[in-house]
Amino acid sequence: MTEIAITALLLLAMIVMLAAGVWVAFALLITGIAAMMLLSNAPIGPILATTIWGHSHSWALAALPMFILMGEILLRSRLSDDMFRGLAPWVGRLPGKLLHVNIFGCAIFAAVSGSSAATAATIGKMSIPELTNRGYPESLIIGTLAGSATLGLLIPPSIILIVYGVATEQSIARLFIAGIIPGAMLVLLFAAYVAIVSVTRPKLIPQETERFTLRQKLSASKRLIPIFLLIAGVIGSIYLGVASPTDAAAVGVVFSVVLAWWNKSLSVAMLKESLLGATITSCMIAFILAGAAFLSVSMGFTGIPRDLASWIGSFDLSSVALLAALTVFFIILGCFLDGISVVVLTTSIIMPMVEQSGIDPLWFGIYLVIVVEMSQITPPVGFNLFVIQGLTGIDILKVAKYALPFFLLLLLAVIAIVIFPPIVTFLPDLMTRN
Amino acid sequence: MIRKALDRLYISSGAVASLLIAGICLLVCTQVLFNLITRFGGLSINLTIPSYGDFAGYMLAASSFLALAYTLTQGGHIRVNLVLTRLPIGARWVAEMLSLCACAVVSGYVTFYMGKLCWESYEFGDLSPGIVAIPIWIPQSSVLVGMIILTVALFDCLQRTITSRASVFAAVELRKEGAE
Repeated sequence: MTEIAITALLLLAMIVMLAAGVWVAFALLITGIAAMMLLSNAPIGPILATTIWGHSHSWALAALPMFILMGEILLRSRLSDDMFRGLAPWVGRLPGKLLHVNIFGCAIFAAVSGSSAATAATIGKMSIPELTNRGYPESLIIGTLAGSATLGLLIPPSIILIVYGVATEQSIARLFIAGIIPGAMLVLLFAAYVAIVSVTRPKLIPQETERFTLRQKLSASKRLIPIFLLIAGVIGSIYLGVASPTDAAAVGVVFSVVLAWWNKSLSVAMLKESLLGATITSCMIAFILAGAAFLSVSMGFTGIPRDLASWIGSFDLSSVALLAALTVFFIILGCFLDGISVVVLTTSIIMPMVEQSGIDPLWFGIYLVIVVEMSQITPPVGFNLFVIQGLTGIDILKVAKYALPFFLLLLLAVIAIVIFPPIVTFLPDLMTRN
Repeated sequence: MIRKALDRLYISSGAVASLLIAGICLLVCTQVLFNLITRFGGLSINLTIPSYGDFAGYMLAASSFLALAYTLTQGGHIRVNLVLTRLPIGARWVAEMLSLCACAVVSGYVTFYMGKLCWESYEFGDLSPGIVAIPIWIPQSSVLVGMIILTVALFDCLQRTITSRASVFAAVELRKEGAE
């Protein structure tokens, strides 16, 4: 059998395994083992054991359970209850009014939770009834929710960027910092879209008569402000180089416990739940990373990524054309795989190709995350669309239609960072210079 | 009897894993506190927990692997459900058996070689690279123990799937969806 046939066979086997419900981490391990059996003479077992051990005890990876634990504690400290009341007074006078609660609420919540499905479910549960009762149009309520919930993947501290950083040996601190401007840009794009729609079609947006003084505004959001400060503190200390991501996250855990105590939601049961929840999530991700690490090593032995890179290289594509092709590929992949799995598959198989074509791996990380965000709301099969369908009972095709403008805005963001890469690299470069 | 013992095994290894995560947090925070004291406290010595980065890593590895079986029984490991949940019950049962079979065998394979790695580290007396050099087989054996428990859990799930003629994970997934 030729190498191309074997590669195709491996790919097919992996797809069948995934579809049959084999856990992603195991599917990666099995594919790696099969590839090494078919295409190399290296001793599989010993390499498997050393790779798994070597990739599960790094200091950088320790940031993962810390950030997850911080999120779990904050999520259980009545954060979502306060989101609507806390944000509404601030956005009531923007064009588009309370629709911006969805956008900014998701952005804050997403920074904490890092999961777009959880963000869509939690924010949606509270904002959909509230906004519907006030007479906002369904299309914009659902659209803003679906679009903004994906922000969690990019806005630091982002779990998926930790995964990318560990898998490609990039600095997690620099990745976090690189995500700041694109994340803010997306929030502004979404908000601007809502504002433009409501200015051009003012009949859509109901009147909001309430006016708030600054004091009332501050008191309404008194529980949100500390969380905002906590996230800013974590990111700020990483940016200034005072703390590594692991340090910042561990201190963040302590502060989130203090916050929970302060708003009276701290209890032994709550801490225990948070700790167990964090254990499960971090175990799941660590296991996938171990599987992906072995797949990368095994791919290195087989030479598939190198062949793939030279095969792609033979087409003499410009990096823009290559990125366009990859974008389509990732969007399809993201329709049935979760973001973390897409990222680890990418890093184990096509990273050599990306590096060979001269693309900066730091930039590529941010690009990859935005594309994965898009895939979450790809009409009509994105993962977030299913979550919102489950939440509201609205038909998925309708949800997809409502989310389409936001999908296009994400595409616009991808085009923007391709044309103008400093959007991503400016802050990290500044950080190194200091 | 055995059922109860197994469930207790998964839960207690999960509990140990979560305590290890709390331990990492405590360790790192203590070191951050020491850094602050060194910087602002006017001390002439540099307070450092020796090899704290290494120890945080070992605790992380121990936590990740000891939690594997617990995460499995809680439905925490990611799999693609798109096809599985749309299959008729009989077909789902078969798919579930096949994937459990494959995973259990591979898990056993990994466990075997992890055991060999630990044994070699022990025989050669390999030490960790940090200032405090500990025999590396000690942290490695936590990964081994975790893999053993995972293998046991996978064979346990396989056996239950075969005898009950239904997916043992369908119930967990339903409960999870209800909670969200």
